[in-house]
Amino acid sequence: MDEVFRALASPSRRTLLDELHREDGRTLTELTTRLPLSRYGVMKHLAVLEEAGLVVTRRRGREKLHFLNPIPIRLIHDRWVSKYAEPWASALTELKRDLEEEAHAEASRGGHAARAR
Amino acid sequence: MQRHPEAGTLLEPDDTRAVFEIFIKTTPERLWEAITDPELRARYSFGVGTQSDWTVGSEYRSSVPGVIEIAEGENLEVDPPRRLVQTFTALWSDDVRQAGASRVTWEIAPVGDDSCRLTVVHDQLSPNANPELYGGWPMILSGLKTLLETGEDLTTPGSLRYSQAGG
Repeated sequence: MDEVFRALASPSRRTLLDELHREDGRTLTELTTRLPLSRYGVMKHLAVLEEAGLVVTRRRGREKLHFLNPIPIRLIHDRWVSKYAEPWASALTELKRDLEEEAHAEASRGGHAARAR
Repeated sequence: MQRHPEAGTLLEPDDTRAVFEIFIKTTPERLWEAITDPELRARYSFGVGTQSDWTVGSEYRSSVPGVIEIAEGENLEVDPPRRLVQTFTALWSDDVRQAGASRVTWEIAPVGDDSCRLTVVHDQLSPNANPELYGGWPMILSGLKTLLETGEDLTTPGSLRYSQAGG
């Protein structure tokens, strides 16, 4: 997890993640055109992101494609955020159930009324 | 963290894809079991089990019978405990159904003495594929890690949304 926070502590590296979030599976050359950095500079930043698991690479022929891997950030979320989100999500689930029950009751009342007429 | 760039599969040109990678402290055999056993699978897949006989060419189905159908497909490659390639047809809404079949590849590689790297590649998606099709993976894989490392269920919002359904 230290590596993840270290990797995220750089604005250039966050910009690289933004670029991959916008469009995944890009080459070093494509990414270099998006940042005011040298090819070598972008390569170094990508290496730090890859070391932290935030970027994974796959080969396509002779090209190396870079993908955003959201899993390490998801694990950070699960560790600290889930506790706060849980009651909120279950409240929403309850609200949905209440509304559906109400709608259902409404519909069956409507049905009886229609038959009564 | 050890990197094994040579393990990457060769991609075909021009198919849109999502790639997820997670490190889990477990053995390849236990990881394979957690992916293919319906009850274990349900514990980190929104409560949805996956039924199959896990042979090449066999079908699989992910559903909570009578409650929701999630996905179906064919097992294209079954190489326990290393590699599983499946077609994936989402069934949970009319919109995702229209996307038709895409492909999911699970790759398990042992790392160090006691861990595995699991890579899930979801490809053969159309360029404008609904992000819902592959948006569930981070939660599923995070839950899988929690289950194998702690024996507990991950209870982030939505992670078990169908587990009490129909009960």
